[in-house]
Amino acid sequence: MAYEALDFFDIDSLLTEEERMVRDMVRDWVEERVLPNIEDACRDGVFPDEWRAEIGEMGILGAPLEGYGCPGLSYIAYGLICQELERGDSGVRSFASVQGSLAMYPIWDFGSEEQKEKYLPGMAKGDLVGCFGLTEPDYGSNPGDMITRAEDKGDHFLLNGAKMWITNGTIADLAVVWAKLDGEIRGFIVEKDDEGFSAPEMKGKHSLKASVTSELVFQDCKIPKDRILPDVKGLRGPFSCLNNARYGISWGAVGAAQSCFNSAREYALSRIQFGHPIASFQLVQNKLSWMLREITKGQLLAYHIGKKKDDGSWIPEQISLAKMNNVDMALEIARMSRDIHGANGILDEYPVMRHMANLESVKTYEGTHDIHNLILGRHITGIQSFTREP
Amino acid sequence: MGVAVLLKQVPDTTAKISISGGRVDEASITKWSISPYDEYALENAIKLKESGFGDVVAITCGPSRSAKCLTEAAAVGADRLIHIISESPLDSIQVQSLLSAAVKESGCDVVMCGKQAADTNSGSTGPGLAASLGFSCVGGATEVSMDGGVASATRLGPSGMEEVEVGVPCVFTFDKGDSELRRPNVRGIMMAKKKPIDIFAPDDLGVDVSNSMVSIKSHSSPPEKQPGQKFVGSDSIPEVVSKLREEANVI
Amino acid sequence: MNITIISESSNGSLHSVTAQLVGAASSLGGSITVICPGGIGSSDAANISGVTKVISVEGDCFENYDCSAWSESLSPLAEGDLLLSSSSAIGRELISSIAASKGIPVVQDVTSLTGGLLATRSIYSGKAIEEVSISPPCAISLRANSFESAGEGGSGEVSTVNVSQDVAVAVKQALAKASERLDVSEADIIISGGRGMGEPANFSHLNEVADLLGAAVGASRAAVDTWEEIPHSMQVGQTGKTVTPNLYIAVGISGAIQHLAGMRSSKFILAINKDPEAPIFGVADYGVVSTWEEALPVLKEQLAEMLSN
Repeated sequence: MAYEALDFFDIDSLLTEEERMVRDMVRDWVEERVLPNIEDACRDGVFPDEWRAEIGEMGILGAPLEGYGCPGLSYIAYGLICQELERGDSGVRSFASVQGSLAMYPIWDFGSEEQKEKYLPGMAKGDLVGCFGLTEPDYGSNPGDMITRAEDKGDHFLLNGAKMWITNGTIADLAVVWAKLDGEIRGFIVEKDDEGFSAPEMKGKHSLKASVTSELVFQDCKIPKDRILPDVKGLRGPFSCLNNARYGISWGAVGAAQSCFNSAREYALSRIQFGHPIASFQLVQNKLSWMLREITKGQLLAYHIGKKKDDGSWIPEQISLAKMNNVDMALEIARMSRDIHGANGILDEYPVMRHMANLESVKTYEGTHDIHNLILGRHITGIQSFTREP
Repeated sequence: MGVAVLLKQVPDTTAKISISGGRVDEASITKWSISPYDEYALENAIKLKESGFGDVVAITCGPSRSAKCLTEAAAVGADRLIHIISESPLDSIQVQSLLSAAVKESGCDVVMCGKQAADTNSGSTGPGLAASLGFSCVGGATEVSMDGGVASATRLGPSGMEEVEVGVPCVFTFDKGDSELRRPNVRGIMMAKKKPIDIFAPDDLGVDVSNSMVSIKSHSSPPEKQPGQKFVGSDSIPEVVSKLREEANVI
Repeated sequence: MNITIISESSNGSLHSVTAQLVGAASSLGGSITVICPGGIGSSDAANISGVTKVISVEGDCFENYDCSAWSESLSPLAEGDLLLSSSSAIGRELISSIAASKGIPVVQDVTSLTGGLLATRSIYSGKAIEEVSISPPCAISLRANSFESAGEGGSGEVSTVNVSQDVAVAVKQALAKASERLDVSEADIIISGGRGMGEPANFSHLNEVADLLGAAVGASRAAVDTWEEIPHSMQVGQTGKTVTPNLYIAVGISGAIQHLAGMRSSKFILAINKDPEAPIFGVADYGVVSTWEEALPVLKEQLAEMLSN
């Protein structure tokens, strides 16, 4: 029962040998280390620390970043890494997305030389774990009105406020936190031992269970002056990070969909009812055929936006389209796959409901489905419809 | 000094094998990999290199797609890569002559390979190569270490696992051991990309492969499995056990 | 055709596969010489019908198996158009070494052989069958139990040759057999138990059969979920391991789809279950409708008898 990753339009032939080798390295790791243990990790609600270490050893964190011990791979390779990790579990891919695109990237793009030297090499190895503090309990799709604030106290900054839904928070060594300094959004690096900082874990999730989700709480949190990211002001900072993560997610969703399709296909071929495998019934074939179409389209979108990321010709709206489309189709495929598995689909014998539950989070985070919709609407019409005010 | 590792590219052991026109349809094989037992040989060779024994020379004999094996070996630490190009199937004498010439070219006096390849399942290359090179041979090793000019190996002998000692030059064929096979990492993959491959045609090695005494007449699918046989009661077990030997040949 | 056979021995006497090698050689016609390393079984070999000559090769180097020493001793004596051995681990290694010394090709693990020479063997771990034609002089190893044994009543002439080769590989020590059982993902033979075993302690009966066969012991998800004593590492099935052994013995396992997914690619499946309607019988090559309590003791006895021969 070998895993065959659906590749109907032969994206494989468009990859470089290096990209294929990186993909295969991650695929093999997921096969050997994640799949045999993921259901237990989910039941227990833990992200095994060994995975952090092994992901670090593979050298895939911060994939497209150059220098400071970072891999310097193509965006296509980064996408393939996300695809293979998420075929395993969205929570595992979230760990890598947050570390690479949301924590390493802002330091790499907006940090001082000292900050880059201090943090990036350890983060590339997985020895230092980072997280990204943008979302607040009352400010999700509307990050611009955030209330977490920083005050300049002369020889330090004082942070007050709280962030919520922060992947990796409780296990992080550092957090890239976005807060308002004199009314303007700036990035600050908070280290886990800074006075007045805590990162309690959020429990009781039905989704992304094998992932650490946390609150970040700042109560008169004192951080040294050298922790501010010097080169960025306003929402441009966090949005650049999000665009990178969203790009990875457009590939990741393909991986989850491939896993669900594979499981549905194998199940349909083995499950006999009325004397025939259910794969011989028209309604089942209709569903599998739809899945094949959607995965193929999603792959082509992801590949094309990957090429544009690599040659620099992309615009954020294109990433919105890819993220939104691919997560939507993956979620629908997970549901359809569960349906094909019948009652067996609700057991963790099969990966489908785990993917289904995870994808609910993936649909909401990194820009909700609806927000990406409006991003495209604004692009089409020139008129923003996020708010009632102009 | 240095270890030569012989790697054979085979269809991945999970790949479907289909027959077309009386031959295995290679074009339909979706994944090619290093033969599994060869991977254990490679792992041990890299470990020897890490203990200071010398460079690892990875050698493969096969068509152009086999080069992938060498890149994969480089990604985990192989230092020199040798590709003997051969587009058609070779018999045991031909492949051993080619590999023997390449081993001599490499100057290595320790050779490691898998105990048998996953396509032919034959196991002739290791011992045959040892005989033609005049090297000793230890088969079924799971671990080999070197101390001065003497090798210690753990291997499955006729009466169970044993520790043996042998001098160099020597060929070691590998069985699956307890060692975990190391994964490549991105750095290894990127360096492997840049590593040159020394390509040899049979003529370059002074080997004539134009004649063979063995020729493939046909490939076919294994016979359809017989429908299951059902027996009632434990009295039927003696008959079933003899069928397991006579019919199924599994014990 | 002059055919030379390298005999196989086990526990100090001639292994029965040798008579099969003679049987295969006889169907090709010609003279048959059997070489007995260390002289083991030379008189028995002479008694095999069809054997013309037996060469009993003696020397210190035959005390233990040593590839180079045996190969160098036997190679000059192995004349003729066709060299045969069994495809056991030692048989293959030895014949490869001798064939290379003589510069003749070797084809391994052949299951049928006719004049010509036309040989059939399985490749890709049994996923395909290959037919090859081979021109003598050549070497071929034959798979055990694929050829008719020659009978008794032979009267081959036995001659003795003394050799004194140096042994290249020195055995330092035998290592204690690992007490851990084989892992299901690696074994050629697996015997698995399901909830039908009644209680986890009853897996000891499966362990006994496993010991006889050198097999691994597996379990169904139902057994793993029900009993703490049966660890997840033994589970065969969807989230457990997928296995492809030569022989899978399912005891007290109904054959739910998740379990089947894990073992249906086994070469041969033997199922023992008291329920004649159990789905496992749909995939079993050999199904025995019986309680395990009745079946396992008989199975153990039969296997013990067969394997001691």
